[in-house]
Amino acid sequence: MAIQVPGKRFGKRLQRSRVFGKGGVGGKRPVNADLLITPLVDMFVIIVLFLIANFSATGEVLMMSKQIRLPEAVNVREIEMVPVVMVSNEQVLVSGTVIGRVDELSREDYLNIPALEEKLRDMKKQYEQLHALANDESGTFKGDVNIQADRDVHFKIIKRVMYTCTTAGYNNINFATMTAASTRGEQAPGKGRL
Amino acid sequence: MAGGMGGADLSGSGGGKRKPLDTQINLVPFIDLMAVTISFLIMTAVWTQIGRLQVSNSGGPSDSQDTENEKTVPLTLLIGDKDLRLTAGTSSFDPIPVVRDSKGHIDLTKLEMRIKEVRGQLPDQVAITLQTEDSVPYDDLVRIIDQCIGSGLPNVSVAAAMG
Repeated sequence: MAIQVPGKRFGKRLQRSRVFGKGGVGGKRPVNADLLITPLVDMFVIIVLFLIANFSATGEVLMMSKQIRLPEAVNVREIEMVPVVMVSNEQVLVSGTVIGRVDELSREDYLNIPALEEKLRDMKKQYEQLHALANDESGTFKGDVNIQADRDVHFKIIKRVMYTCTTAGYNNINFATMTAASTRGEQAPGKGRL
Repeated sequence: MAGGMGGADLSGSGGGKRKPLDTQINLVPFIDLMAVTISFLIMTAVWTQIGRLQVSNSGGPSDSQDTENEKTVPLTLLIGDKDLRLTAGTSSFDPIPVVRDSKGHIDLTKLEMRIKEVRGQLPDQVAITLQTEDSVPYDDLVRIIDQCIGSGLPNVSVAAAMG
């Protein structure tokens, strides 16, 4: 085998290539190739516009869980950062704290859920104390609560959760839903409204 | 490239030196800015669109704020497993049987027509009470609330069905 100059050595097929095979048939071609910036900038602009259009200043209000599949609704309002009661098919949680199991709650006949009420009262007290310390008169307690429940949960559990929220002072109950596209092409009345 | 835009010579008449009119925009900082912006927006993007349906617990404090209006009647929808029963004041309508589509979602076309009929007679009616049986799935309740709000009844109260 003949001694060759060190460097790149391409196969037989690539030796005839205009790109790799040192020109092949013709003479030497310039090595420098200009990168086309225009489509790159176009693509960047489109991506930025798309992402800005979908940007949500509210952020991630609800912690999404695989155990909770939210129902879909069209005529929804923008969700706010308020306490969330999570109701899955197995358990009821508030701020990550397990309040009780759904099968046990289903067996009980009375409406109130004492553990949930206690937890919500604590949260209300904490909220009021924090705003009193900060002398924030605008941040009065409004009693908003989000219920993030699985679509298969029966109303018996929802009823108890709602009753407990009202008893604890959370009168403005909101059902968290996935925003579905309107089939009639109408703008949802409350969409984008705070 | 000088004078490439239609070959116009816009240089000043005085002086011997002609400066080229074409200027190249430096795209590197622009692309840098774009890359940073895209990275920031992707990292902070919320892909799940979540909304809320505001309801009031029937019998709660929010009910006391309602003013008596002669042009409205207590509108009640009893949600059962098998049918929906709409009642406007003392008159009650025929029950609407619960029909589900292939995905298992409740079909609310008839309810929508019934509510439109009521709204045609009582244009000032904005409130409805949903009396729900214990065994009704949450998905059905949310769809009915959504339908009521979409049909022009934004004040939805949820109550438990009696008996």
